[in-house]
Amino acid sequence: MAIKKGLFKTSVGRKNLMAVTGLFIIFFLIIHLVGNLILIIPNSFFPIEFWGGVANTHDMYNAYSHFLVHFWPVTLVAWVLYVAIITHIIDATLITINNWRSRGDKYIVTDNSTSTWYSRNMGILGTIIGVFLVIHMAQFWLQYKVLKVEHDLYELVIVTLKTWWFVLIYEIGIIALGFHLVHGIESAHRSLGIYPKKLMNVIKYVALCFSLVMAILYAIIPIIIYFK
Amino acid sequence: MKLTLKIWRQENAKTKGKLVTYKLSDLSSDMSFLEMLDVLNEQLAVKGEPAVEFDHDCREGICGQCSLVINGQAHGPESHYTTCQTHLRSFKDGDTLIIEPFRANSFPVIRDLKVDRSSMDKIIQAGGYISSFTGMAPEANAIPIHHDIAESAFDSAACIGCGACVATCKNSSAALFVSAKVAHLAKLPQGKIERSERVLWMVNAHDEEGFGSCTNTGACAMVCPQEVQLLDIARMNYEYNRAKCISK
Repeated sequence: MAIKKGLFKTSVGRKNLMAVTGLFIIFFLIIHLVGNLILIIPNSFFPIEFWGGVANTHDMYNAYSHFLVHFWPVTLVAWVLYVAIITHIIDATLITINNWRSRGDKYIVTDNSTSTWYSRNMGILGTIIGVFLVIHMAQFWLQYKVLKVEHDLYELVIVTLKTWWFVLIYEIGIIALGFHLVHGIESAHRSLGIYPKKLMNVIKYVALCFSLVMAILYAIIPIIIYFK
Repeated sequence: MKLTLKIWRQENAKTKGKLVTYKLSDLSSDMSFLEMLDVLNEQLAVKGEPAVEFDHDCREGICGQCSLVINGQAHGPESHYTTCQTHLRSFKDGDTLIIEPFRANSFPVIRDLKVDRSSMDKIIQAGGYISSFTGMAPEANAIPIHHDIAESAFDSAACIGCGACVATCKNSSAALFVSAKVAHLAKLPQGKIERSERVLWMVNAHDEEGFGSCTNTGACAMVCPQEVQLLDIARMNYEYNRAKCISK
């Protein structure tokens, strides 16, 4: 029997690729959150002018986004991120198709009490996040970074998030992300084999707490802006 | 007690199957589930109808032959049980039970509730062994093994290869089964010699036999009669990555 050579070609290998790309995207999510949090800093936080004339949240956020777009190492990491996201999606699709093929006829009765609903539906959660991502990137990334038609990103964000159904779309996307993360972080560690017995519960609870904190912080930002 | 059984009847892998309803009465709650099927088959024999075929052997939870999915649960409603150890006291008088075979593309139906699980044998043949000279059994204490390691290896070795993990997994993955053998042998000095080849061969055979990828839902470990742990899957993945990245 010939052994498949590639590290990522087997059922275990494909899951490795999911884990590596997933963990990289999580790293980006942290950075993205830090940027988002600038949006809700009150203007009173800037008592005096500093950082070259940054006097309020508006200036601070625009200075931050300008820095991200024009600092080349960030652009480089951004490209790695695009590759990671696309790989994560393609790999997930391949795994899902293969898993569908592996299944036999459907059971007439299925008992789902042995696993959590979000661990069984990572594909659906991922699809919701994917749809959200397309809307999100069309609104900001495309306008600001690619087409360069909008120069005041702060204004664009605030105007967009004053529409209630946009806020709703964001909340749905973030809830899906939260559940995707809870299972994804633990699953990634297990897939990579970095899951020692002594740290098993630590990984589990860190995944839960991290996902909860991420989801709550991401979720409150559009709500605060909407009611501001 | 009385039970209504809706049993999957199928001629062979190529024909379509369907549920057939049977009503049984005067059953004892102390009967094992398989004894109840024996009673049904006796009644069918008297009527001249073909018996419901199902796998069984030791009937004491050791051999891993009995299968069955009862009301959507592999091996029945009790956690970490085999079907032969499931007794009718686990059900209520008058219950309707839907009895299906283990379903996975790698487990084609032979007849009724009997499935072909030889795909799992092929995985074991691919690497679930150690190479050693035959002859006299060596002195048991020639290779000292720490008690904790021996116990841990034995926990993994306890897998009886019943296939409940595959039947329960939404992806029909045999990761828990493969990982139990990989972890069992990787923990012991005798198995360490071939640890890299073993994991690659066995994962490769797993894929060749058409099992799916593990998505870590953990459902397999919940039904495993031998309580093989999910930690073994993590161990298998570690061994795989180690073999791919570190070994020659």
